[in-house]
Amino acid sequence: MASRYDRAITVFSPDGHLFQVEYAQEAVKKGSTAVGIRGTDIVVLGVEKKSVAKLQDERTVRKICALDDHVCMAFAVLTLFKGLTADARVVINRARVECQSHKLTVEDPVTVEYITRFIATLKQKYTQSNGRRPFGISALIVGFDDDGIPRLYQTDPSGTYHAWKANAIGRSAKTVREFLEKNYTEDAIANDNEAIKLAIRALLEVVQSGGKNVELAIIRRNQPLKMFSAKEIELQVAEIEKEKEEAEKKKSKKTT
Amino acid sequence: MAATFFGEVVKAPCRAGTEDQEEEEDERRETAEDREVRRQLARKREVRLFRRQTKTSLEVSLLEKYPCSKFIIAIGNNAVAFLSSFVMNSGVWEEVGCAKLWNEWCRTTDTVHLSPTDAFCVFYHLKSNPSVLLCQCSCYVAEDQQYQWLDKVFGSCPRRNMQVTVLTCRHVTDYKTAESTSSLHSPFLKALKTENFKEPPCCSLLEQPNIVHDLPAAVLSYCQVWKIPAILYLCYTDVMKLDLITVGAFKPVLSSRSLKGLVKNIPQSTEILKKLMTTNEIQSNIYT
Repeated sequence: MASRYDRAITVFSPDGHLFQVEYAQEAVKKGSTAVGIRGTDIVVLGVEKKSVAKLQDERTVRKICALDDHVCMAFAVLTLFKGLTADARVVINRARVECQSHKLTVEDPVTVEYITRFIATLKQKYTQSNGRRPFGISALIVGFDDDGIPRLYQTDPSGTYHAWKANAIGRSAKTVREFLEKNYTEDAIANDNEAIKLAIRALLEVVQSGGKNVELAIIRRNQPLKMFSAKEIELQVAEIEKEKEEAEKKKSKKTT
Repeated sequence: MAATFFGEVVKAPCRAGTEDQEEEEDERRETAEDREVRRQLARKREVRLFRRQTKTSLEVSLLEKYPCSKFIIAIGNNAVAFLSSFVMNSGVWEEVGCAKLWNEWCRTTDTVHLSPTDAFCVFYHLKSNPSVLLCQCSCYVAEDQQYQWLDKVFGSCPRRNMQVTVLTCRHVTDYKTAESTSSLHSPFLKALKTENFKEPPCCSLLEQPNIVHDLPAAVLSYCQVWKIPAILYLCYTDVMKLDLITVGAFKPVLSSRSLKGLVKNIPQSTEILKKLMTTNEIQSNIYT
């Protein structure tokens, strides 16, 4: 049915679809799962690490990238892309240049919303140009602004962007989002540690091999970006499993 | 011109033939060389069924030589992985034949671990109960080869007292629905059965327009024509490569009459499946 209207990006179908953009959204689902959570004083980005080939240098397979950090590391903008790796690299480079250009021109670092809008506008341009295809990526962008408020934005291949309290992109994003809808409560993000645990729990819903395949990054207000080491993630996972066991014990006690 | 289900008008080739004189003249100009090329191509695309141990081809169709009461066919890598880990690990299965075929889609890399390099469709029967036949088909059988495959496997006059179960996967974008694919909870299972299949299926039936493609469709059509009870379990997934969650979506089929007696050890099956996943992981850096 779509065959006559999906070959060119600049052609609408009679019922108003831009099929190439919708197909680009399918490319995003090919990436591994990623989750972003906005806490009260913290923002968390977690991603499923795909296993790297034996001879590949793991260092070069970076998922979470910083777009900008301020001189005294008070604010930083982190991003995470899902979809075509090469497209992500191109967009990250452009965004980084824009961050610096903004700083030089206006003498202020970018706000999270500004850089998200920049990335979204860039993506939208590629949905309206002849001879170019849309970027096959979705991004989760987190950071703190000057006012100290944490932000989480998500963009998609069509060039739309929205602010979220918590969101997931990539494969099985729907499952993770449903988990977040059930479990993102005021209690869950009451303190930083709880927010981190929520992100890990959300990922563990779909990650097949447990904590060792999870990569996590956080930014706390007025602190620099922190990437979690494998050990720290294992500790969190162990805590989560303990809590699960205790919750199950309580349940079985109630029923008996 | 023809109208599709959705009312869109498309140009369809007319099978009645054209009255175009030019076309007839072109055909007459076909040389012996063209005919030879066509013959060679037909030979290359032939479906061959043989016994690997003896390397002899089967003179009669597979089901004539090995009549069965239950025939389970897995088409595609996820369905094959499901049968390998959940059904084939309980009981001793003996290979009774394999089908070798070539078409433009053939790639040997995917079949290395799941079935031997040279064969793409392997047939087994249960040693303790030879009336149960199983087929692991990891290759794509092209449209022109489907008839040959059916003929060599089912034969021209099949018995009706057998039950055929087919398992396969399709991408979720093939599922015809008014909702957008992002709101669907994939993977999910749908069933399509022939008229003579009287048992209740293990999942909901595929809704209209209930269109299926390729070899599973050919098998179902064949069974419908010959009044053989057959059911197709179709898993719609958004991951077409070998995937744990997609294979897991076939689990409801384990409660069907065909597979019930065959599955013994489910926890062990999950372990075998995990091993299969890791050995088959193809490193791809295209998607992050």
